[in-house]
Amino acid sequence: MTIWRALLRMPWHLLLLAALLVSVGALALYSASQGSWQPWAGRHIVRAAVGLAMVLVVAFVDINLIRRMSYAFLVLAVLVLAALMVVGSGSGVARWISIGGMNVQPSEPAKIAVILALARYFDGQPLDRFQSIITYLPALAMIALPFLLVLKQPDLGTALMLALGGLSIIFAAGLPWRYVIGSIAVVVASVPVLWSQLHAYQKARVMTFLNPEADILGAGYQITQSKIALGSGGFFGKGFLMGSQSQLNYLPEKQTDFVFTMIGEEFGFAGNLFILMVYLAICLFILRISYRVKSRFSRLSCIGIAMMLFFYMFVNVGMVTGLLPVVGAPLPLISYGGTAMLTVFLGLGIVASAIIHDRREQ
Amino acid sequence: MSKKGKKDLRRAISRRGLLLAGGQLALTGLLAGRLYQLQVAQSSRYKGLSDRNQFDMRVVSPRRGRLYDRNMRLLAGNAESFQLRVTPLFVDDLERTLAALLKIVDLTPDQIKNVLETAKKVPSFQDIVVRDDLSQRELARLAVRSALLSGVSFGRSLRRIYPQGILGCHVTGYVSPVTRNEIEADQTLRALPDLGTGKIGIEFTHEQRLRGVPGRERIEVNAKGQPIRVFQDVAASAGQDLRLSLDMGIQLHAADALRQGRLTPVKLGSSEVQKAIAENAELRAHIAVGDEMVLRDEKKRLVPPESGAAVVIDVETGGVVSLVSAPMFDPNLFTGRLLTRDWQRLNNHPRTPLLNRAISGLYAPGSTFKMVVGLAALEAGVISQKTRFSCPGHMELGNAKFHCWRKDGHGAVNLVSALEQSCDVFFYEIALKTGIKKIKDMARRLGLGDSTGLDLPGEKSGIVPSHEWKLAHHGKVWTPGETVVAGIGQGYVLATPLQLAVMTARIANGRKAVTPRLLTNDMTSPDDFAPLDIAPAALDVVRQGMIKVMYGGLGTARSHKLADTLGGMAGKTGTVQVKRITKAQREEGIISNIDRPWAERDHALFVAYAPIKKPRYAIAVVVEHGGSGSAAAAPVARDIMAKTIQTLGVA
Repeated sequence: MTIWRALLRMPWHLLLLAALLVSVGALALYSASQGSWQPWAGRHIVRAAVGLAMVLVVAFVDINLIRRMSYAFLVLAVLVLAALMVVGSGSGVARWISIGGMNVQPSEPAKIAVILALARYFDGQPLDRFQSIITYLPALAMIALPFLLVLKQPDLGTALMLALGGLSIIFAAGLPWRYVIGSIAVVVASVPVLWSQLHAYQKARVMTFLNPEADILGAGYQITQSKIALGSGGFFGKGFLMGSQSQLNYLPEKQTDFVFTMIGEEFGFAGNLFILMVYLAICLFILRISYRVKSRFSRLSCIGIAMMLFFYMFVNVGMVTGLLPVVGAPLPLISYGGTAMLTVFLGLGIVASAIIHDRREQ
Repeated sequence: MSKKGKKDLRRAISRRGLLLAGGQLALTGLLAGRLYQLQVAQSSRYKGLSDRNQFDMRVVSPRRGRLYDRNMRLLAGNAESFQLRVTPLFVDDLERTLAALLKIVDLTPDQIKNVLETAKKVPSFQDIVVRDDLSQRELARLAVRSALLSGVSFGRSLRRIYPQGILGCHVTGYVSPVTRNEIEADQTLRALPDLGTGKIGIEFTHEQRLRGVPGRERIEVNAKGQPIRVFQDVAASAGQDLRLSLDMGIQLHAADALRQGRLTPVKLGSSEVQKAIAENAELRAHIAVGDEMVLRDEKKRLVPPESGAAVVIDVETGGVVSLVSAPMFDPNLFTGRLLTRDWQRLNNHPRTPLLNRAISGLYAPGSTFKMVVGLAALEAGVISQKTRFSCPGHMELGNAKFHCWRKDGHGAVNLVSALEQSCDVFFYEIALKTGIKKIKDMARRLGLGDSTGLDLPGEKSGIVPSHEWKLAHHGKVWTPGETVVAGIGQGYVLATPLQLAVMTARIANGRKAVTPRLLTNDMTSPDDFAPLDIAPAALDVVRQGMIKVMYGGLGTARSHKLADTLGGMAGKTGTVQVKRITKAQREEGIISNIDRPWAERDHALFVAYAPIKKPRYAIAVVVEHGGSGSAAAAPVARDIMAKTIQTLGVA
């Protein structure tokens, strides 16, 4: 394959849409620091440029090489998460590792590792086994191990998103409907058991979500302020740099988890809807690519990546609009924060590789 | 077949992918609907909230409960103090403003860092406290210059004050700022910046009752962040006021009597005294922590006040009328910013003023323990009231020789006259006959060997030894010689001054196991005390001995009688060796107490109850290194008892 052909087949539309989101993010971060490139907006752009470059690099890696490496990635991810547990156990929270002065959250790229390993697993299964429940049990184990490690960090939001991304691959691989419905029933039934396993702060978040007024100084404060900021933005917003809720520091975490709220206050319903549409477009384009690529591995990987990206967006927007509890989830490409952005670009790189190196199923 | 199967599977995956795409569309639609609801349908409501109703919550500290003495004299209250605040919204450059403030008021680098960090986290219109407890001087300087510093303002807050100064220090304890450890144990303390928490004394024991429950204020601010109105959301409920059984008049008298002892107070102002203070670190240490007293001893030397403890309790109710431990300190040192200087002075003080000697100081009870041994012997039946022993000045047991304090001996003595003259040999004899087990049993019933349960932290249990105790703590078997030594309250026996007061109160009361209490709020009814369970006849003999101590011709405290108009007093002296007297010293003749270094002098003890006919108050006095119980402790106890009966009567 020539470089020229590869560049022609590169999914430029995806990269363009991603760049659009990065630009929106840079504007929002510029506003979050009261009209300054410091400390967030400038670094956001630099990181995004590195990320785009990474997409191009990953795109040239043969998807088959990625397929062969996918189990290794999962093992690596689990090992790092387990090591983090041991190292970070002293402080109680073990989410971050420092690589060259940058703080990286290994649970984010672990999502990709789970997706690739599952795609590889189903890629290797003989056809006649897809109707049997036995086939799906190892897949569940591949999700459960990293899920539990991330849950213990403790990071409920990321753990749930990791699990949902993996489960959507099991669903896409063709889990018979009776099991789909059965497992939904099991999940509903196990809610009380799960509840007792949650940390006090996680319970508080859920309780706050159910009744935000009760806790006006804690997480409920964030949601109440977020709703006021969004609602007061109206249809077209208060204007760039004019969001009083954000500029007066009412809004907490406005550069990370609540950046969508800040955009909503300054650009209104129109601005928010625009972001939703761009995200949806990226997700649907990736699903369309999954429809076109021939290899089963590529197909399932693309579906998993599309779902991962969608869950990022859905959980974050659901959270800031008060539909979901505050679990601490960023809005990738827009929020300030390197790891989620890196994970999304990694995903886009794999999609690009899948489309560039697609050939007949062997 | 295989090819068709693969195709089917690919179709199946695509179908599922399509379903997922549909799901994405539906969920995005849900989000869009939610956004429409918030931003279009309900927008005007939220605009209103944003414009007019931007609000902030503030936690309101509750007023801490006050402490009073029995006559409602304030022991611990709350005074207003001024704090310096900045409002980041109105400050152009916070770091520069803080640098400017640093030139006007005392600020540590930590305080500055703290302000800068807080400013990043809270809404910019919210005031941040830069410094608490501004001095008058700082206020004056700020008043002149703060006009030039925009965003800088003053606020009022509360500060704990102890209007009685050093007098109540060991009872009230003190309050100081909340520590990091306390916040980790109790998250609600994070929101309670005023006053802080009790660290010792009643302030510590009754922290929960005194603290109260914080309230919440809702502050409305406009879109520019200026506060418009303050609503009280939840009112703070003040802590409970507590009333103590202490009488500050008696407390003052007790503190002065104990600290002066036989010494003569001098005026602090004279140049001789100033020079002595400059040269003598021990004098300086006392004055630096608020114990401002300098005295002259028999040898005309300038010395600091005596150390020790005095406890007066009500024989009927157990109410603690006075509880003094010396040296004392000023609890007000802790309430604002405790200066490192003051903290070092308290910690490096040669006589540990923070130690509450009345409840945490352990002393051998010495001859004050003889009532316990006498009661145990009477109860065991090894002696009667009339049993006599001859005292030749020592007793021999095996190879050991146990000396009486009087070299020439007391001749033939019975229990009453042995108590009167404090004959050691008599008690050596009856202790041996009674055995340590029964002595221990009697001591425990009189309140020794276990904490009394007074509501002050850090109370010590003391030691009443036994066979089992020695085996457990020293791994050795109890010897008869140790019983002999225990017979005069030495050796392993240890008690706190409070326990000695309780012991005396129980002997005086005769019916109930009186237990000391400080709070009148929840004073137990005297009927609730457990029965004492000691034969009244035996108690009567011992009380006769205690009366003879004061009124007998040879009584050890006969020169310190309480006036008959006040009902008279019965007591017992105790003198406890701190440094062993060697055989060589004994032969040379013992060096007089006053010529030894302070730390090697004997402890002086005295316990007493009054009036004789219908006992109402019991007292225990310990003067550390004060010399003999009869000369150093008895007059102090007599003075305090006189003041107690004059003040409170005996009704």
